[in-house]
Amino acid sequence: MDPMIQLIHVSKYYDRRAALSDVTLEIEKGEFVLLMGPSGAGKSTLLRMLIGEEQPDEGQIFVQGRNVTKLKQSEVPFLRRKVGSVFQDFRLLPKKSVFENVALPLIVQGASTADIRRKVTEALRAVGVDLKRDQSPNSLSTGERQRVCIARAIVNGPIVLLADEPTGNLDPERTAEIIELFKLINARGTTVIVATHDPLVMTQVNRRVITLMQGVMVPEQRFGERVGV
Amino acid sequence: MRRLFYLVREAWANMRTNRTTTVVAILTTAFTLACVGIFLLLYVNLRSAAAWLQQDIKIMVYLDDRITQEGTHELETKLKADRMVAGTLFVSKEQAVGEFRAQFPADSHLLEGLGENPLPASFVVTLAPSFRSSDAVARWAERVRTMVGVAKVDYSQEWIDALAGLIRYIELAAIGVGVILSAAAVTIIGNTIRLALFARQEESEILRLIGATRAFIQIPYFLEGAVLGACGSALSLGILKLGFELFRQQIGSTGRFKGIEDLVSFFPLSICLTFVLVGMGLGFAGSVVSLRRFGEGRA
Repeated sequence: MDPMIQLIHVSKYYDRRAALSDVTLEIEKGEFVLLMGPSGAGKSTLLRMLIGEEQPDEGQIFVQGRNVTKLKQSEVPFLRRKVGSVFQDFRLLPKKSVFENVALPLIVQGASTADIRRKVTEALRAVGVDLKRDQSPNSLSTGERQRVCIARAIVNGPIVLLADEPTGNLDPERTAEIIELFKLINARGTTVIVATHDPLVMTQVNRRVITLMQGVMVPEQRFGERVGV
Repeated sequence: MRRLFYLVREAWANMRTNRTTTVVAILTTAFTLACVGIFLLLYVNLRSAAAWLQQDIKIMVYLDDRITQEGTHELETKLKADRMVAGTLFVSKEQAVGEFRAQFPADSHLLEGLGENPLPASFVVTLAPSFRSSDAVARWAERVRTMVGVAKVDYSQEWIDALAGLIRYIELAAIGVGVILSAAAVTIIGNTIRLALFARQEESEILRLIGATRAFIQIPYFLEGAVLGACGSALSLGILKLGFELFRQQIGSTGRFKGIEDLVSFFPLSICLTFVLVGMGLGFAGSVVSLRRFGEGRA
């Protein structure tokens, strides 16, 4: 069976400086992977490439067997509907309610009103902010905002969930809650990749770790076992 | 359906949020398009006036003073038999004098000292509607001029041709002004859309990342541009109509041009609708220009 994500000799340069250098890796379906490394190690670049936001200068990237580097511009949005993204700065729209923010990916896909209502309610319940559905994201705490961001990322049932420094703005207690949430999502079969520079997250996740240092992948370490393996 | 509702709501929300910019854009577009409308109104009225004059054209066939009564009768028979002729009216020398006196009472003394009546008898000929074009009239006049007993053929074609020339100039001016001011309207609306793009940059970015297509991101801006253009052009029609009615009232009250107010007319409904559609198109074009410059909607 094809791996869920596959990078083959991927390199990316910014002004001749290598953000990623000859990275080759595979992530299986249902895996929970931590992408570790200090700031500027190339973690965000790698995640951006997985949603077609950036193209590698060398190498090939496959998501669910599809070569992302060969996608036409018009096909990129459809890749992004299968890959949910969670951001450090949440990227929520302050003028819209929590419900409206989470409903966005479904509206974009043309889901029916009944489907939107049902799926958004489920997603909000899954992350524990269903009682705040009518509030503005600005009235929520940072931990709650991140939960809303996660709800938006999972509302349309993505096959992969990418999280770029999702706990960067959170205290240790909220960090632990968010990591638990990712574990739950992963337990339902979604492949989860969390990029972080926080060693605390590594101890809490206790799963496979891919480490990047100045764009170069260091030999893998594995904590615990894969889900379903 | 939900998607369409969302897109329309986004466009509307954006216009409401940037209320001042939206109102300024509609007003400036309205005044810009009203300037184009003035030329268009002038052009439409002069054209219908020219067409009316051309339809009402009367040809004067002046007779030679030496023509006999039989000759006159023969000529009238010939003219009436002509398939291009719709009607003839004989004006005798005496009737001609009477008409001159009636039309120019202050100058009637000019005829007093001349003794013999200097005005010729004539036939006033009306051509059939299908032969009233400028060329057909000229050809017919040329033919009749050579007939026995005809001294001169006269018609107001020169005046009509001069009017047609003036209309052509106004047409060119309207096109020139229209192009320049339309470009201005596109720029005005384009700038408003650019402001909206800046204001909603983050939202567009989020939409891209969650899988929105280029069309989905761009449609609210297209809608906004089209609505601004349509509102601007509709308002410009209102301004024009107001100006037009004031003008008509003014010329009606001066007395000097009495009667003209009934001849001039505002745009028919079809032109009004076209005008609004053109405004809508200009607004849409403004959005396209801004989205291209801004590079918005890329995947």
